[in-house]
Amino acid sequence: MIHPLLVSASAPPPIDSPTIQYGDLSPLLVVAAVALLGVMVEAFAPRALRFTIQTALAIGGIVVALAATVWVGLGLDRASGDVLARGRVVAEGAVAVDGPSVFMWGLVLLFALVSMLLFAERRLEGGLSAFTGQAAAPPGSAMEREAVEHRIEHTEVFPLAMFALVGMMLFPAANDLLTMFVALEVLSLPLYLLCGLARRRRLLSQESAMKYFLLGAFSSAFFAYGIALVYGFAGGFGLGDIDQAVSNRIDGQNLLLAGIALMAVGVMFKVGAVPFHAWTPDVYQGAPTAVTAFMAAGTKVAAFGAMLRLFFVAFGGASWDWRPMFWVVAILTMVVGAVAAVTQSDVKRMLAYSSIAHAGFILVGVTGAFVGTRDASVTSVSSVLFYLTVYGFSTIGAFAIVTIVRDASGETTQLSRWAGLGRESPLVAGAFALFMLAFAGIPLTSGFIGKWAVFSAAWSGGAWPLVVVAVLASVVAASFYVRVIVTMFFTEPTGEGPSVAVPSMATTAVIVVAVVVTVLLGVVPGPVLDLAQSAGAFVR
Amino acid sequence: MVTFWTLAPIMVLAALGVVLARKAVHSALLLAVVMISLAITYASQGAPFLFAVQIIVYTGAIMMLFLFVLMLVGVDASDSLVETIKGQRMMALVVGLTFGVLVVLVVGQGVVGVSVGLGEANANGNVYGLAALMFTKYVLAIEFTAALLITAAVGAMVLAHRERLVPRRSQREESARRLQEYAETGRHPGPLPTPGVYARHNAVDTPALLPDGSPSELSVSRVLRARGSVREGFEGDVGQTLRQLDPDDPTSTIGGSTPRRGGSGRTEES
Repeated sequence: MIHPLLVSASAPPPIDSPTIQYGDLSPLLVVAAVALLGVMVEAFAPRALRFTIQTALAIGGIVVALAATVWVGLGLDRASGDVLARGRVVAEGAVAVDGPSVFMWGLVLLFALVSMLLFAERRLEGGLSAFTGQAAAPPGSAMEREAVEHRIEHTEVFPLAMFALVGMMLFPAANDLLTMFVALEVLSLPLYLLCGLARRRRLLSQESAMKYFLLGAFSSAFFAYGIALVYGFAGGFGLGDIDQAVSNRIDGQNLLLAGIALMAVGVMFKVGAVPFHAWTPDVYQGAPTAVTAFMAAGTKVAAFGAMLRLFFVAFGGASWDWRPMFWVVAILTMVVGAVAAVTQSDVKRMLAYSSIAHAGFILVGVTGAFVGTRDASVTSVSSVLFYLTVYGFSTIGAFAIVTIVRDASGETTQLSRWAGLGRESPLVAGAFALFMLAFAGIPLTSGFIGKWAVFSAAWSGGAWPLVVVAVLASVVAASFYVRVIVTMFFTEPTGEGPSVAVPSMATTAVIVVAVVVTVLLGVVPGPVLDLAQSAGAFVR
Repeated sequence: MVTFWTLAPIMVLAALGVVLARKAVHSALLLAVVMISLAITYASQGAPFLFAVQIIVYTGAIMMLFLFVLMLVGVDASDSLVETIKGQRMMALVVGLTFGVLVVLVVGQGVVGVSVGLGEANANGNVYGLAALMFTKYVLAIEFTAALLITAAVGAMVLAHRERLVPRRSQREESARRLQEYAETGRHPGPLPTPGVYARHNAVDTPALLPDGSPSELSVSRVLRARGSVREGFEGDVGQTLRQLDPDDPTSTIGGSTPRRGGSGRTEES
């Protein structure tokens, strides 16, 4: 007997095929296609050519996707409404192609472009990439030595990074919770893998991958449970539906509040906000430095983008409920990040705690929840976008420098071994000092403008006590950035002192780009700030 | 309602068992109980497609994979329960219970809003309703799941696949190498002696006896020897019996505990 629900009395009406605006989604689709092509290359291209083909494919694909992003961005129509917003919801309501989405697409694509140059660096390891040759070989085994002798490389890292990039682009643009969850997983899974593929210190790298995977899976479960509760409250997955339910309904608030809290855990884990930050130092330290750079910059953009969209669009009507929670988390994040960074003796861990502190500063901007007025003042969304831009470039630059300060056993990440770097190589040390000053928010660097933007947005949004705490935390943070500079320039080197390896054009280009962007955005921030401002609000 | 109240306690108990069971196999079997109960709940809620998928995909495919992995790892393998961080289990318990109570209170008090009802969702049949959602509203999400699956496949290959870097030696080359080695070092080209087979012990951990009564070290796997689980001599049973028969007989100490190498002169295979 067939279940009555499986059959219907008459032939069911045909399902209309969905309308998908492929043009608006073209940047996403280009990157996805490049990732798939990369997997094909792994299967069919001869081994000797794979690295070259993969590099060219990844970089070429990103450039094409960037061009597509510019094209989409220029074609955005102004949406109707009180506040300035451009764009529309496409693909049956799954993706919102609006100003912030396109801005973040461009941003993660640029970060991915420079990160791919770091991925492609082969001069530092004697002609091999920074990734292990044979991930299945146990660390320190004969098999591993064999892999090095035969000079094999894992070129799969390029398609994996492309898949992560697709996730990073889809996550902040997703307009319903299901798509957002899928994007979160697409973004995370390749990163878990990439973290475990370092060529040196492999046990540390594998441990970091395992930790990131377990904790990440845990946070995804929280996110999924939150989605279920919010669905129970609103009766729909679309952010617009949830917004309507939040604005219209007065009963069933419990489900909404629990859902908001659980979903906040998911996104706050991804940005590394306290108390969900525990993975950050271990993973940043263990992962291959190129991956750390990509992850630090890209994941932050994607996760903050999704956080903004989730809390401003879907839960915008309940901002009085979630803002106190954000206050607490922002203060905790800034304080813990800044204070813990002071005690670090490892450069990569120090940068990890610094990234936690910066997540706190960005959260200040988010907490302000300032949607702007008629006159051109900086809104929360545009200030966060600008901060992410300046933070991302400085971070990638700083990690690029970490890859070239080396000794016989690989990267020298002990901070004490960096003493005297200023004498060894004034240019490299000078560049690193510039990034430190930008992180500290010293005027004439991009970091200052970024901090000014998020603080002013939070001030306009009425969160002035938070701004006061943030300024104090920046002072604490500045102390350890200055300590790094003092170590590099004014401390006698111990033993042989650090040595700076000569990288290929790729890494050099990354450092130069990061330096130029950091200085330019500090001196003439206007154009980028205007661009972030003209991105406008989210459409729904 | 009856289905729910029957299944819910079973599911909760089984889920607790998944976490608390010491042996991984027990956890896996209890997980199967949870999954099957969940499937029945789906069926009773008017979601026959989900019911079938839950049984076929989760209980059928994924659980079997779990069990395969467990069989490969070893059924008896159990996790170390030593706390590396002091007081961690206690803290986890407190935090977990607090969270659980909070969620139960919040969700329990929740008022579920106006639901459209299953009747409308299943108006043209359950499968039709699902298809209409999957191929229109959520088609993009479903398509991007492909990226997830490809990542998983590529990742499994990267992490687990070992490429053969030196060509495999053929049977002929291997035997030529063995005889060459025999000519040069005198190492025996044949297989190692088998372990001892006796009335009381016919296990791999019992060494074979050489003609002079001493056990041959080569007849037991070196893994067992490294673990120290090789039976040393026969003091325990044969000797005891002999002593009982004739306490003065000096041969009753047959098979002393000093193992001697086998007569072939073959050295230990590395």
